[in-house]
Amino acid sequence: MMAWYTANAVVVQATMTTLLLALSIQLPLRVGVFSFAGVGCFGIGGYTAAILYTKFDVDTWPAVALGTLLAGGLCYLLGLIIHKLSGLYLGMATIAFSLIVAVAATNGGSLTGGASGIFGALGGITNLHVLLLLALVVAGLAISEYGRFGRMIDTVREDPELAAALGINVGRYRKLTFLASGLIGGLAGAVTTLLRSTITPAEVNFHMVVVALTVIIIGGSSSWLGALIGAIVITWLPTVLSFVADWESIIYGFLVALAAIFLPGGVLGLAKDLIHRWRARRRPTPPAPPASEAEKIPGGEPSSPATERSLASTQGGTS
Amino acid sequence: MQELLNTLTLGSIYLLFALGMALAWSTIGILNFAHGAIFVFSAFSAHIISEHVALSMPVLILISVLVGAAMSALTQWLAFEQILKRSTNHRSAEMRVLIGGIGVAAIPIAIVDKATASAPFGFANSTYKTEVYESMGLRMTNTSLIVIITGVGIAVALTLWLRASRRGLGLRAIGVDSETASLMGVNRTAMALGTMAIAGGLAGLAGALQVFQLQAMGVATGDQLLIKAFAMIVLGGLGSMAGVIFGAFALAGAETLIFAAKLGTWVDAVSFGLIFLVLLVRPQGIFGRQEVRRT
Repeated sequence: MMAWYTANAVVVQATMTTLLLALSIQLPLRVGVFSFAGVGCFGIGGYTAAILYTKFDVDTWPAVALGTLLAGGLCYLLGLIIHKLSGLYLGMATIAFSLIVAVAATNGGSLTGGASGIFGALGGITNLHVLLLLALVVAGLAISEYGRFGRMIDTVREDPELAAALGINVGRYRKLTFLASGLIGGLAGAVTTLLRSTITPAEVNFHMVVVALTVIIIGGSSSWLGALIGAIVITWLPTVLSFVADWESIIYGFLVALAAIFLPGGVLGLAKDLIHRWRARRRPTPPAPPASEAEKIPGGEPSSPATERSLASTQGGTS
Repeated sequence: MQELLNTLTLGSIYLLFALGMALAWSTIGILNFAHGAIFVFSAFSAHIISEHVALSMPVLILISVLVGAAMSALTQWLAFEQILKRSTNHRSAEMRVLIGGIGVAAIPIAIVDKATASAPFGFANSTYKTEVYESMGLRMTNTSLIVIITGVGIAVALTLWLRASRRGLGLRAIGVDSETASLMGVNRTAMALGTMAIAGGLAGLAGALQVFQLQAMGVATGDQLLIKAFAMIVLGGLGSMAGVIFGAFALAGAETLIFAAKLGTWVDAVSFGLIFLVLLVRPQGIFGRQEVRRT
């Protein structure tokens, strides 16, 4: 076990940082906010931490904390301005925000190191620290997926009008999503930068949006578990199959396109679907199922049985 | 004056690229994120063929246009049509089309990147020769003349076609309400395929002309242009072809001025900032009448 870990420490580390980045994009998608601002926040967090650490002699953890908070704060401000946009317009506005961060970093002069970025920002972060931070973030996200709160978020995503009619303050949720996504993205950026010791403007580009999206789409966007599956797949596939490393981008492109067409729920959605189907086959005629159980049987809507169920229970709970 | 000429040339290439994207988005409702990849790949195909045979300019352009049209139609048929068939509501379909487009775009870009080892490519072996005309202190090449005439001509022709022809009417009807349009006898699937082929052909044309104009093209050009084109369409207003023409030349003008002021590294911030500003101040764009859906 230890030998395996020392041999693969770098890949484990990459899996964890990729997962953090993906989570910052996945959370808004789960609330129905089509935002890629997490990538820009990755840049803000990474640059802030690196500048503080190398130029102002701030310690590792205060630098990470400040980077995270600044990214979260700026992302919240962004949310205040643009939370009313919807769909594609919001998506493109947030992509533009992320790319503006890169342009600003390129033109930051000696502070950001221009096009060549910042070097030598090797902070005292170990993989164990990253694991603990990740556990904290995942715990927070997992809480937001279950029970009453989880159902509220599902409703805000699937039907904002219904959510507003049920007394959920949709606008506030959308704005808070920006804050949370910015904090996670900033944390991902700060930790990744101080682990790898460098950050360049070229990293904060469209490619990073694509990587984060690949992770989420392959794994599944409905739960942090999906992002974990996706992060493991895209960081480990090249190490297991060497031909994948040669044709990485092409294979990911195919996977994303196929997942977008055939598996909108990702691998996680497929697994959930299969489990439901298997259970339904084991009990062909459930004796007088209660109303909420009846919804569980797939058939009508194979793509989103989970949301239908939660919508039904939210309505039932409040009326 | 020289700035104005540069604006016209740059704007015409922007225009050709953005026209295809705007046409597909405003009528059949598909924002094709693979448009930039098609632009790069069709120019690259012409480059590959020109390495083996010395070809003239029209032939190279024709190759690029055909490759672009074929790629775009294939993407529509194999990816977007399948997504639309499988989606339950409009919002999730929009998102899945965007993501599917990003996935599709990664494939040709990765192929070009691998084949060229990330180096820019051009049409070195073509029989076309650039000539420079100078008069009254103005510098002008025959390439930019061709680019301007093609760009403006096609934009005007497409706008008129969409406004006056029966097919254009059908296409606009799909944009307003695709269900009612199909009840009126508009074949949505065939129209969508045709529209995407035209859009791809325009991307191929823009690609080939860009290579002739700048002598070379880098792999990353496609993604940048895609976001710029989005800025142009949003600025002009989705659904208005005149808006796209205005948006393309306005953005080209702003970028030329920034270059003239020696602030070259800020040039990308113009389009990104523009997207922001327009969406906040006037989300329907300058010429747009359609209100942006807001929830």
